[in-house]
Amino acid sequence: MKPLTSLMHSVWIAENDLRQSFKSVRHVVWSLLFPIFMLFTFSFRYGATGSDNTFLIPGIVGMTAMFGSINETMSIVWDKSMGVFDRILAAPVSSTSIIVGKTLAGAVMGVISALVLLIIGRTLYGVSFVNIGAVLLIILLASFSFTGIGTIISGLASEPREAMMLSNLLRFPMMFLGGVFFPIEVMPMPLPYVARAMPLTYATEALRTIQTGSTSIVFVDAMALLAYTVGTMLLGSQILMRIMTR
Amino acid sequence: MENAIEVKELTKFYGSLLAVDHVNFEVKGKEVFGLLGPNGAGKTTTVRMICGMLRPTSGTAVVAGFDVSQKPQEAKRRIGLVPDVSNLFGELSARVNLEFMGKLYGLDKKTRRERIDQVLELFHLKERQNDLIKYYSKGMHRRLTIAAALIHQPEILVMDEPTSGLDAQTARLVREIIIDLNKEGRTILLTTHQIDEADRLAQRVGIIDRGRLIALNTPEQIKNTTEGMRALEIKILNGVDQQRWIPIISEAEGVDKAFLVEGKIRILSKDLSQVIPTVVNFVDKHGGKIENISVAQPTLEDAFINLTGKSIREEPMSKEEYLKQRLPRSGLR
Repeated sequence: MKPLTSLMHSVWIAENDLRQSFKSVRHVVWSLLFPIFMLFTFSFRYGATGSDNTFLIPGIVGMTAMFGSINETMSIVWDKSMGVFDRILAAPVSSTSIIVGKTLAGAVMGVISALVLLIIGRTLYGVSFVNIGAVLLIILLASFSFTGIGTIISGLASEPREAMMLSNLLRFPMMFLGGVFFPIEVMPMPLPYVARAMPLTYATEALRTIQTGSTSIVFVDAMALLAYTVGTMLLGSQILMRIMTR
Repeated sequence: MENAIEVKELTKFYGSLLAVDHVNFEVKGKEVFGLLGPNGAGKTTTVRMICGMLRPTSGTAVVAGFDVSQKPQEAKRRIGLVPDVSNLFGELSARVNLEFMGKLYGLDKKTRRERIDQVLELFHLKERQNDLIKYYSKGMHRRLTIAAALIHQPEILVMDEPTSGLDAQTARLVREIIIDLNKEGRTILLTTHQIDEADRLAQRVGIIDRGRLIALNTPEQIKNTTEGMRALEIKILNGVDQQRWIPIISEAEGVDKAFLVEGKIRILSKDLSQVIPTVVNFVDKHGGKIENISVAQPTLEDAFINLTGKSIREEPMSKEEYLKQRLPRSGLR
């Protein structure tokens, strides 16, 4: 199959997934409500203004990318259980195109969700980022790495409930240990090491650094996210490929 | 095209579970071929291997001259699959669903638009084309599923239990569609557990049971496997559990097979003149009263029971059969 045709298949699969997600207003609202709720709750805890929010909002943006990407990628499990995955498998589309398409949809959803929180952070709390290009790059890399995690979950889970449990098992520890609400430096040992094993930690750290106008650690964080993206994507696509070509 | 589909020694294991056991058959070009068998017999697994959605453990499936394992994309391009349940995207409209399918099959924008209009018109869905399909009735879902399978005008249509779960009126409509599509020159492979459907629609039938193809011929020829046998239908007086009588009547001399069909006890025998008085006496001896008795022609169902030793509709699915059905969709290996 020609590379351009394969790429177009991926784009159409991603477009179709996103179209479904955005068709349901409730789906979009509910998926954004959780990070918004966490933002409001913790901003009250920290105080409505001041430096605490510049600490909080980059973390919330990274966390939102995580929820958006993983949720979207888990549509694979729904597709499997509803049989719609079979419809794509029966079409003359390569397994690689299917995986790339699903990954693209997850990453795009992660970026869009994060951008919404970025806008809320700027509008309500006045937290802005000078280097928006670097912010977008980090959000994109983070979204791809979370999507990779989503594909692993989708490949391992046999039905939606199992996928939900598996994803919560990964998302909630990441949310609390990924430096979103507390700096990892204040965590007792060995939690900082656990945090360093999580992609959200690097996304949060990078976004926070960019927000302060510095770029000191951003390159290292970006490389860590890239490594996560490659690793999780390879593993996730291997698992999905086994299912599709079994 | 001589053979549209050629299946040779097709075998599928799920772990240690043998789902399809060295199945061989051909579907001739422009014929309706019925794969008949009870739930869990291996029909869907066979179809999934033919459609390139499942890799055979051994054996080959060739579609329109393309080996499905070697050239899956070429084979898939020539097949339109109608699965047993509607598997289109509920959150999207009929038009958007068809648009997506058209894109995946490589149709350009103009052709897509024309074909979508055509199939929507053909299946009377044009008025509701922009409604989300989650609001469609079962019959509309089924029509749209067939429409989606036809969007790329495939030469071969594979239909898995096409009338399963439909009301009588919609099932009749779907059968008419199948006949029309075949008249247009399309080859149709359909799987069914409904004997009358296979009898009515298929020019040739393969009977599959526990993963093995046990008969392959025209419905008439298969019925002839009951050669020499005649069928007798009796009904024991109202208020009596007919099923209870099956093991009792099976003991009567001259009775080859006894089973329940639509509330009546159907008896197969080579010698009706001997078996009628024997059964009447036997029922009387066991305290029953016969309400009515009639002689009937052997049907495909009789042949099925004769070949497999069981009725196609009354056997509950075993745990293994349930797992076998569940495995392909669940992603478990």
